[in-house]
Amino acid sequence: MANGDGAGGGGSPPLVVLERITKRFPGVLANDGVDLELRGGEVHALIGENGAGKSTLMRVLYGMYRADGGRILVRGEEARIASPRAAIALGIGMVHQHFVLVDPFTVTENIILGEEGGALLDVDAARQRVAELAESYAFSVDPRAVIEDLSVGEEQRVEILKALYRGAEILILDEPTAVLTPNETKDLFGNLRKLREAGRTIVFISHKLDEVLEIADRITVLRRGRVVGETRPADTSKAKLAEMMVGRPVLFRLDKPQVEIGEPVLRVDGLVGEGKLNGIDLEVRAGEILGVAGVEGNGQRELAETLFGLRTPASGTIQLEGSSITGRPVGDIRNAGVGYIPEDRHDQGLVLNMTLWENAVLGRQDDEEFASGLGVMFIKRIKALAIRLVQLFDIRTRSVDVNASTLSGGNQQKLILARELETDPKLMIAAQPTRGLDVGAIEFVWRQILDQKAAGRAVLLISAELDEIYALSDRIVTIYGGRITGEFAPDAPPEEIGVGMLGGTKEPVP
Amino acid sequence: MPFTDIAVALQISFTYFTILYLTGLGGLFSERSGIVNIGLEGLMIIGTVTGAFGARFFTDTIDLGTPWGPILGLLFGALCGAIFASIHAVATITFRVDHIVSGVVINLVAVGLARFLSYAFFNGQATQSDPGGPHLARLDIPFLSSLPGGLDRAFQSLSPMVLVAAFMVVPVWYALNRLRWGLRLRSCGENPEATRSLGVSVPLYRYQGVLLSGAFAGLSGAFLAAEVIGNWREGQTLGLGFIALAALILSNWNPIRLMFFAWLFGFAVAIPLRLNDAPVISALPPQFIRMIPYIVTIVAIAGFVGRVRPPAAAGKAYEGGGGT
Amino acid sequence: MATEGLAPPVSAMRSRPAWLEGLVGQLLALLASLGIALLAGSLLIIAYGESPVAVYSSILQYSVESADGIGYVLAIATPLIFSALAVAVCFKGGMFNIGVEGQYLVAMVTAAWAEIELGFLPGPILVVVVLIAAMLGGMIWAAIPGILKVKTGAHEVVTTIMLNGIAVSLLAWAINFPLKFSNAPPGQNVDLRTDQFPEGGLIGDIGHYFGVTPGAHLSWLFFLAIGAAVLVWFLIRRTRLGYEARAVGSSPGSAKAGGVSIGSIQIRLFLISGALAGLVGMQQILADRGHLPQNYVVALGFTGIAVAFLGQNNPIGIVFAAILWGILSRGEVALQIESEVPREFIIILQGILILSVVITYQIAKRRLAARQLQRAGAAGELEDSAGSDEDAGPRGPEITGREAFERAGEGGV
Repeated sequence: MANGDGAGGGGSPPLVVLERITKRFPGVLANDGVDLELRGGEVHALIGENGAGKSTLMRVLYGMYRADGGRILVRGEEARIASPRAAIALGIGMVHQHFVLVDPFTVTENIILGEEGGALLDVDAARQRVAELAESYAFSVDPRAVIEDLSVGEEQRVEILKALYRGAEILILDEPTAVLTPNETKDLFGNLRKLREAGRTIVFISHKLDEVLEIADRITVLRRGRVVGETRPADTSKAKLAEMMVGRPVLFRLDKPQVEIGEPVLRVDGLVGEGKLNGIDLEVRAGEILGVAGVEGNGQRELAETLFGLRTPASGTIQLEGSSITGRPVGDIRNAGVGYIPEDRHDQGLVLNMTLWENAVLGRQDDEEFASGLGVMFIKRIKALAIRLVQLFDIRTRSVDVNASTLSGGNQQKLILARELETDPKLMIAAQPTRGLDVGAIEFVWRQILDQKAAGRAVLLISAELDEIYALSDRIVTIYGGRITGEFAPDAPPEEIGVGMLGGTKEPVP
Repeated sequence: MPFTDIAVALQISFTYFTILYLTGLGGLFSERSGIVNIGLEGLMIIGTVTGAFGARFFTDTIDLGTPWGPILGLLFGALCGAIFASIHAVATITFRVDHIVSGVVINLVAVGLARFLSYAFFNGQATQSDPGGPHLARLDIPFLSSLPGGLDRAFQSLSPMVLVAAFMVVPVWYALNRLRWGLRLRSCGENPEATRSLGVSVPLYRYQGVLLSGAFAGLSGAFLAAEVIGNWREGQTLGLGFIALAALILSNWNPIRLMFFAWLFGFAVAIPLRLNDAPVISALPPQFIRMIPYIVTIVAIAGFVGRVRPPAAAGKAYEGGGGT
Repeated sequence: MATEGLAPPVSAMRSRPAWLEGLVGQLLALLASLGIALLAGSLLIIAYGESPVAVYSSILQYSVESADGIGYVLAIATPLIFSALAVAVCFKGGMFNIGVEGQYLVAMVTAAWAEIELGFLPGPILVVVVLIAAMLGGMIWAAIPGILKVKTGAHEVVTTIMLNGIAVSLLAWAINFPLKFSNAPPGQNVDLRTDQFPEGGLIGDIGHYFGVTPGAHLSWLFFLAIGAAVLVWFLIRRTRLGYEARAVGSSPGSAKAGGVSIGSIQIRLFLISGALAGLVGMQQILADRGHLPQNYVVALGFTGIAVAFLGQNNPIGIVFAAILWGILSRGEVALQIESEVPREFIIILQGILILSVVITYQIAKRRLAARQLQRAGAAGELEDSAGSDEDAGPRGPEITGREAFERAGEGGV
């Protein structure tokens, strides 16, 4: 664990000072009097759990948000950063967690957009400049390539180059490794060290404590909008950092229920679909949680959708308790006893503009309990169902008549869970079930999933978070390039699983 | 059927190509910037009434004579189209109204407004027997208008606007692909978040895109009323604005491809006007012949729409940029 | 179960439900737009040298201040209600039916055909059959863009407009050939039209029961329209079809994951919309004229779109919006008789009204959403920052989950 005590990390004056920054959104205080200092030539990690305010703080620095209180000093002078342009002019650059690249444009076009150097585009000259810039930092990227064809790691390099092209001395990276394979992460860290040597400042927003301890010079911890601690890797540990993030001692033990594993509930053979799935074989038994681990973009979403009937496979079979459900419509698959917790709760889970009770019955509106043969809906019964779900799952809301959009992310996910679990499905497909949730909600979701196992049901868990995979799975498989690349015991070390997640020397299929 | 009929049909198709291409180019600028504009028909309508008025006003009333009178008339139509399009721009960009809803409103209001203006300008719509207003001198295309076999008719007596429209592809292509302005405009339509994150103002470019759509559609309408028909009558535009929209979609929002589709549909429009005696067509009752352009458009859209790829962010309300 | 943060018993929850808030917001938006339009109109009236108060009161005089006036207003509103309902039904499912225009033309042809070919049927039955024929005509014409959309993805805006154009020619052909007026004396030039429909197939005037002049042609079609509005309301709000349609219109992905067949919903919505559209032309050919003339009333489809927007695609709102539109239309008569302001002024007024409704509704919708979010946050319901980091990405620290679960195993939270 090499701690970079980088050049300039010692006594040089701070490059950027954030003083008592406060930022409010409707209903929430995202930043509450935050103080932060950034020095030249350092990698400064900003950590905290989801909702702590890390991204918000940096977006204030980058001019995307206007702070409600406090001030910012850059190079000793107070700065009013009213827009990203102003931030860029001050030498601040930001790479967002979700890349903002124009897919059909080339690398060069993306980099020069907004900084074209004249009304007339001189594409050759621009390409030359980009190539030189990339070389000077040993970034391997092809200026002519179109973004659509690039891998995630390459896209990230383009984003970083964008900032460097504009003379960024301070580079903010928001969860940069969330979408990288372990190999790409290694490459990224190499690039970051080079930048640090060149005197640049890097703000590394992350929740991955191992990586933070590896690359950072200093670490600032946020919790619920406030700074709760600042330290160096040498002076701390993963456990201490976690404790600071969450506010209470954190232990490592796990308690999975002991259940006898039964017959196979789900059998998938040779599932192929639309370029993203290239031959999936897997099996989930009753009382078992199968964890599918992999970096996003390797077919997970397509797998979940195909299993649930949202996509038709090109070939292969899917069997539920022996009978085929391949290519059947969603309604049939639901009725056969499959539940679905989607990766994207807004696009495939809830209808935000509809009320809670309307969402509660989604998927069961054909049930004769909730609608007559002619189609008239029994609203009283549906509302009663919704009230029961809200109470059972402790969903924070004042009534079931409000729109689903008023629920927080955690409560929205709870609603989906409640609704899906209500039918006691034989098989639950859970795709990234705790994405974007805070600790309390994560724990709740995990408990529900383990309860399913305890009840002898089968769960297919698809997750990009290894800790979630470890916490819940009885067996682990890795997915890469639309194929299952390895099977592991639940206590297999991360390095081994990482190999499976890499799947070989090819770059991931876009 | 004499060959000259085909030639004349071709000639007419060039005229309607002009109308469809100009309107389509307008739609192109708007949509590439990310604002869906189905109000092209309404914008054309505004262009017709203001263009017809402008031609007469500048030629006769101010006595500028041809060609300056008609030219200013056309430009006046373009200007009024742009002004009217600003309603769509404000509604969709600043107030984030749904693009299609706003486009429908534009079409509705345009009809009423045109009628209102027609009374202010000329005391109502022209009758069949009214003489045509002033227009640009027609010209023959050199070399092509001396072709043998009756084909020469196709290239004779065309309005100079046909050539203007055809050559428009050059500056349009150049602006989109070789100017900084074009790069920024296109990025607003593909990924406004990315554009904003680089400090480029998305609303600014979208406003320009929509105003340009008004100008081009208005110019097209002015051309239709002043140059082609010579008078203003209600319902002149005949759904041409929507046919242009279809051509735009099929051309995958590409100014070069659009030329082909604008001409293709222009020819379809020319059929009922000129080819009534053609072998298969003459068997149909006249009312059915009039349906041909619409049927052609539907078939084209239904058959090929799966293969097109609109600008990724067109039609989606952009949360970060409206008037902030 | 945790004691902290336990949601209060839901039965004790009292708050304004979402739909009521929405209704209040819509009403305010409508009133605000009306105010804006009238204000803008006043400026124009002053430009003509007249008094806005006088003009507006003369409009009211000709519309609501006499039985005759009310009769005219309701008769004008009748086809608009059908038309706007047709638009609204599709809109709930996220689709734009701009083709009501063509659908009612085709419906008039099928209705005329039924009148003429089936005219031997006794009175009341003939009327019912004719109305069904009209609805079928509209449904067929609406099914085309619906099927094209589902099977080929063709955007309904383009296809419906093209079909409008085709319908115009279709009607012209019908009047010229199969349904041509059969009693014209040879050699004489007569307006193109169909035969007069049999007496039993007409819809009689009921206005005279209420002291309304027969010239207004107020018929029980108005009540049919109200009934249709109630039916549509029930369909959208209380049936599975309406529920699934709204889900599709709002979030097709979630609807699909909820087992809804999107294509089936879309086609069914177009069919219902077409049936409603079919009734739009019945006022003029069954109540007003008694035949299908060459100079039939146009633009009822497009006006229906305007009325639908005014009524915010809500069946109840649509009825009121249609009546409002009827009042404004009567204004044309009022202006002609009582004022120097040209009748086209009404068109401008209507245009400004539509524009401002569309914009103010957007503003109202956003304010409402922000306020709902604010209230939810103030009540402590938003634990994590909905709106800043949350989105789709980072979660808690890697190991906290294990810890959390461990403690859950102990029975705590």
